[in-house]
Amino acid sequence: MKAYIDYKNVVPKTVIGLMIFLIVLVPVMTSNMATLSMIILSGVWAIAVMGFTLVLRTGQFSMGQAAFMAIGGYTSAVLTFKLSMPFWPSFFLAGIVSGVVALLIGSVVLRVGGTYFSIITLALCEIVRIVAQEWEPVTDGARGLMTSPPPTIALPGFEINFAASPVPYYYFMLVLVAVTSLVFRQIGRSRMGGTFFGIAANPTLAEHQGIRLMKYRVIAFTVAGVFTGFAGSFYAHFLSVISPVMLGLWQSIQIMMMSIVGGVGSLVAGPLIGALLLYAFGIYVSRLPVFNIQYLLFGTVVVLVVIILPKGTGLVDLWDRFWRKVVWREKEFEFEEVEE
Amino acid sequence: MPYLELKNTTKHFGKLAALDDIDLQIEKGETLGIVGPNGSGKTTLINLISGYYRPTRGEIFFQGKKISGLRPDQIAKLGIIRTFQSNVLYEGATVVESMLISSYQQYKTSHWQSFFETKAWKDENEKVVGKVIDLVKLLDLLNDTFLPAEGLSHGYQRMLGIGMAMISNPGLLLLDEPTTGMNHEEAKFVVDKIKKISEQGVTVILIEHNMKVLLDVATRVVVLSFGNKIADGKPEEVMNKQEVIEAYLGTETL
Amino acid sequence: MPPAGIWIDGLIQSCIYMTMAFGMVLVFSILGILNWTHGQFYMLGAFVVYYGIAAAGMPLPVSMLISAVLIGGLGMLVEKFIIERLTGPGYGPLYVTVATLALIFFFEGASGMLFGALDKGLATVLPGVLDLGSFSVSYQKIAVIIFTLIVMVAMYVVLNFTKVGLAIRAAAQDPVAASLHGISVGQVSLIVMGIGCGLAAMAGGIMAPVYVINPFMGRTPMIMSLLAIIIGGIGSLTGAIVGSIILGFLNSVIAYRLSYISELVLFLLVIIILLVRPQGLFGASRK
Repeated sequence: MKAYIDYKNVVPKTVIGLMIFLIVLVPVMTSNMATLSMIILSGVWAIAVMGFTLVLRTGQFSMGQAAFMAIGGYTSAVLTFKLSMPFWPSFFLAGIVSGVVALLIGSVVLRVGGTYFSIITLALCEIVRIVAQEWEPVTDGARGLMTSPPPTIALPGFEINFAASPVPYYYFMLVLVAVTSLVFRQIGRSRMGGTFFGIAANPTLAEHQGIRLMKYRVIAFTVAGVFTGFAGSFYAHFLSVISPVMLGLWQSIQIMMMSIVGGVGSLVAGPLIGALLLYAFGIYVSRLPVFNIQYLLFGTVVVLVVIILPKGTGLVDLWDRFWRKVVWREKEFEFEEVEE
Repeated sequence: MPYLELKNTTKHFGKLAALDDIDLQIEKGETLGIVGPNGSGKTTLINLISGYYRPTRGEIFFQGKKISGLRPDQIAKLGIIRTFQSNVLYEGATVVESMLISSYQQYKTSHWQSFFETKAWKDENEKVVGKVIDLVKLLDLLNDTFLPAEGLSHGYQRMLGIGMAMISNPGLLLLDEPTTGMNHEEAKFVVDKIKKISEQGVTVILIEHNMKVLLDVATRVVVLSFGNKIADGKPEEVMNKQEVIEAYLGTETL
Repeated sequence: MPPAGIWIDGLIQSCIYMTMAFGMVLVFSILGILNWTHGQFYMLGAFVVYYGIAAAGMPLPVSMLISAVLIGGLGMLVEKFIIERLTGPGYGPLYVTVATLALIFFFEGASGMLFGALDKGLATVLPGVLDLGSFSVSYQKIAVIIFTLIVMVAMYVVLNFTKVGLAIRAAAQDPVAASLHGISVGQVSLIVMGIGCGLAAMAGGIMAPVYVINPFMGRTPMIMSLLAIIIGGIGSLTGAIVGSIILGFLNSVIAYRLSYISELVLFLLVIIILLVRPQGLFGASRK
């Protein structure tokens, strides 16, 4: 038997290992807190985009994911600010409440497909915003609610002080993103992921093979709701405030854009790339001296990406192809040996 | 008790009666052919049995249990599986992926076990994949296993459709025009498989236009015309009946 | 009982949403997509008219026609170079939707850069009011009503009595059959987009004197027209008209009481309609 280096297995592992090493050390390397904040916020959006992509995986197109961020954010804000609950239980509840809302609403609304569903989610997103704006006794209306950072964690030797700098938030976000990514990746690879695909690809056929459509649509929608709720809670506490205008229809639209730019076929890598790149681009562009050019450039870039990239792919697929073609020199199409 | 029974089954679309007061009994192990000119209600019949439509009037019973009004996935779980004439495939899936999605009912382990990749799940998955490969070999699709299903020729797509139905271990198989779009050899191949399926005890209902296929494989034939059942019996007898010939050719034979 | 001014406002809103909804339904019937950029054409039309009058001194109707042609042409360009590339076999609705949404940002940014983000007004056009006893109506608002009537009649005539109109109706009903009869669906798509955007532009133009003009003025009309066509039924032109009327009056009459309730009611209504009777009042069961 020839001894050889199994490039396909070793290289990714080394690369990933290196990347993890670098990622963990980012705060050490970047002294620029603004850049760090930017990365932190892209992580938050990445989670929301993963949720959107998961729901899309079942063939449903939600234009209202930011609503779940709002629900999560407001839940933990109200619990900590108005009811003086400690941070961690509130954070946890934020995700749960968001998930429960997703479950209840989804069970009613997911019967409907396609464009109709999208418009319903659009409407729901706006309703959440309006409720946040007008339900003064609970949400303090348009003023928004103040949130405080998570409490300082005392560990042997040092303490993790959220109030002092963004660095603890960075690690918190890393953990959140890592957990979400793992969960979503596993879902994608599991039998449920295949079932989701079937429901999206041909719902009638899937139904006739014993797959109960509503059950899986609701599961995807609820899971997305839970994690997006966590993201929203983090968002609120990182920014020290939550107000109705922060998370509305236009943010939902941005989530959609991040998904498609990153690549809708991918549940984890696509959202990460899409969120990071588009958010960073947005920040960069908003610093340009010419007012309004950020809208223009943002719109242009998204349209160009959507038009130029071949159908069904996103930046993540470009990366994948680059890696295969240039680095591994694979031929475009693979024929695998089938054992008789 | 008949395996499948339709009582007074009627389906209206607006004012149009696609099926009108149909009574039908099917015994276990039969291979029933359903024929009739276009528009006579054949696909509607299958749609009713599979749960895609609800009957406007009348009831459908499977092994004594009422199934009319159930959802398609509930009916599929009872072992009644159908193929489609058009819209056969999972868009974007390869052959093997399509088969794996269709093996939904074969899996007894829960989704959690799949998520955590437990040993029980891995063992079961191996078994199912084995069955899928067997079936793929059986249907002569082995060379195309990892190709996108849409790339297959029309005939092979139909074959895949039958395979996707077979993997669920149906007790009652509903085939909607299985040989349409196939050449002579492919049709013979399908007939062969249907016979094998039937030998394994599966009850089959098939809609067919191809008389050769029908006479070869069906133990009994039902003829529909304009939503009514006009004949029911052995293939050779039925096809020679006056009403049947008229239904196909029209009454004027000058 | 709300004062007459509120009813007039309701009528004005209905008129504007009607024109826009009409264009949206036309586009939807042929192209099968919801054009989220529609509101931007409304906004751009308003700006063209503004500059036409304020900078070039042209009378309102001329400015509006120019605006219709220019913006209609722009719409056709968008259709040809963007929308066409993103529709067709294999492309889900996601791509076109994201692209037309992104274009919203593009156009808002562009007009912000070109025209500045500050509000502008054309209050000097058609000044004066018509006194009707207990209340008065500005001539500007009357112009809106007259304009809408003209547009509706013109559309009726075009769709029912001209070759182009016939081609549009044929392509909307059954594209395949239409193409078999020699009607190029691609050309019809272009024409329809041009008409739809031109209508939106004129709507923006006629409204320019009534409310303020700024790059973001297209967002609300877009959403409102969307709600209107859902209430009326997505594929239906009659539905667009009826839905807009319902919407316009609902909006102004309820907003008279409590502003945010009207939005809430509208969104809830839309959700209920989509759940219970997705085809709205007049639509066919079409997705």
